[in-house]
Amino acid sequence: MAVSAPRRAAEGITTFAAEALRIAAILVVLLALIWLYRRDPFTLNILAYTFLFASLASAWNIIGGFGGQFSLGHGVFFAIGAYVTANLYIHLGLSPWISLIPAAGLAAGAAVLVSWPTFRLKGPFFAIATMALNEVAFVLANYSDTLTGGPRGLSVPFKAGLANMIFASRLSYALLMLGFLAVCLLVCAYAYRSRLGYYLQAVQIDEDAARAAGIRVLRVKLTGMAMSAALTGIGGAIFAMYLRFVDPPTLLSLPDVGVKFALIALIGGVGMLYGPLAGALLIVPLEFQLRAGLGASVPGGNLLVLGVILVLCALFLKRGIVGTAVMLWDRARRRFW
Amino acid sequence: MSGLLNIIVVGLLLGGIYGLISMGLNLIFGVIRIVNFAHGELVMLGMYGAYMCYFLLGMDPYASLVIVVPAMFVFGVLIQRFVLQPLQGEPMMQIFATFGLLLIFQNAVLAITRGVGYTAPSALSSIVVDVGGIKISLVRLIALVAVSAAALFLSWFVKNTMLGKAVRAVTQDRRAARLMGIHVEWAFMLTFGAGAALAGLAGTLIAPIYTMSPQIGGNFILAAFAVVVLGGLGSVWGAYIGGFLIGVTEAVAGYYLDPSLKTAIWFAIFIGMLIVRPSGLFGVVGAEEIGLREQD
Repeated sequence: MAVSAPRRAAEGITTFAAEALRIAAILVVLLALIWLYRRDPFTLNILAYTFLFASLASAWNIIGGFGGQFSLGHGVFFAIGAYVTANLYIHLGLSPWISLIPAAGLAAGAAVLVSWPTFRLKGPFFAIATMALNEVAFVLANYSDTLTGGPRGLSVPFKAGLANMIFASRLSYALLMLGFLAVCLLVCAYAYRSRLGYYLQAVQIDEDAARAAGIRVLRVKLTGMAMSAALTGIGGAIFAMYLRFVDPPTLLSLPDVGVKFALIALIGGVGMLYGPLAGALLIVPLEFQLRAGLGASVPGGNLLVLGVILVLCALFLKRGIVGTAVMLWDRARRRFW
Repeated sequence: MSGLLNIIVVGLLLGGIYGLISMGLNLIFGVIRIVNFAHGELVMLGMYGAYMCYFLLGMDPYASLVIVVPAMFVFGVLIQRFVLQPLQGEPMMQIFATFGLLLIFQNAVLAITRGVGYTAPSALSSIVVDVGGIKISLVRLIALVAVSAAALFLSWFVKNTMLGKAVRAVTQDRRAARLMGIHVEWAFMLTFGAGAALAGLAGTLIAPIYTMSPQIGGNFILAAFAVVVLGGLGSVWGAYIGGFLIGVTEAVAGYYLDPSLKTAIWFAIFIGMLIVRPSGLFGVVGAEEIGLREQD
């Protein structure tokens, strides 16, 4: 499993504080983007989705990228967060802000429970097992009528208000998603630049060597997975309140959810802190444009183009956008300085 | 009693189809170590190939085998050469690329057919055989015979021909195989071609049974992965028997429990198997580790 991250010269390690400054700068730019389009609901919707998927792909990146565990089952944690929040809101009237806690907790708990056995598997086996997990969850979500509403799904009644996390304007949602992105990026930066992050990266590069060096591999992987799943659960909760409707296909479809997190991270640069953000900024708006432009005239035309992009990215952009940019930058620097 | 027997026969017939699809997937997975997400779509392309032969040339699906199977072989070789070979040694990127291929195949067919469902009728479609009071449709029986023939041929081929031995050597140790003068890339191209040809065979044989849709591959792919893991990586007979096990489990669970839960049950078996014995029922223990080591 040698997905060799581009090795940068050891000229000083970026600390969490420095990383936090970079994140603040990025957030300011994204905030300016929202402000620029503040009167355009169509674009705001795209921005909201972009930030949400950037957050989710970043969350996936903690275990999938830093830890090298290619999970295709993150849709399960996404769905747990969404169903928990929707149920607590519909039946108990609980504010979604409060249900973020059980959403994150249950998603993390479920993640630890299912990862305990599946972490014995490596490489493609882990990917297949997590994919199968996603399919089991799909079948169960369709089946258990009382919790998920089965195939009919759950509808959240519209009652605007900050406490309900339901807003009339798209602008508020875009800001909400940006806030979530800020949380995710900070957690990722912490996970990347902390002891845990280095452990995870050691496991990703060589599990046996990491174990020999005294790293408790299973515990490190489970911690990374729990963090990743907790954020994914929160993402599911926010998504449920944004769409105000959840059903098995929207939460557990492999191409639209579980696999998409991984794809966005891969296109942007897997295992790199800002890779998923770059991937989402490219892919999500592109998908919207394609769906609007091509999807109507040629059935499946938008997905056809997306498929071609994926294959081309795999072939010619192996390190993703950020990885390639870093590589080109390093090369240029060596040349001219 | 005859009820249970009936269910088992239904399961065996279904298992034959699963086995046929899994065999190609297993060959690719076992030898090249690629998780070919697009395998269900290769089956789907086989089905549409059979339909095209019927529509353009008026051929019976069984006659169109002579066109579809070689065409799929060439197609598979081209995929391996131009998409997957450049990604050798990067399993994540390969998963990514086959997923892209899945989207391309599915939506190209959707764009061309505009989602109209087709069937390729065969002269044999309506014939029903009566075996001891149990009615079996002939086309499903043919699929069952075909999977047995394919398993026999494949196991003979890898054991007794030089090409088959080369493929087995590459499976066991790429570097050593290369040192023995085996052209590893050619062996991979041959393997992927054979896997695609088997998918084409499966697609053609089920063309008279199922109504075609661009998404039909999704119905088979996860079942096929389950079969591969259950039966054992790279094991021809593992895929053969695993197909029947999954087919019968699905039929029995669908009848006695709830049809909507059948998939959950064989996924549970599948995940359990992956954890208890990742090499599968008939795989060589430790075989699953091969290819995860650094090789070139």
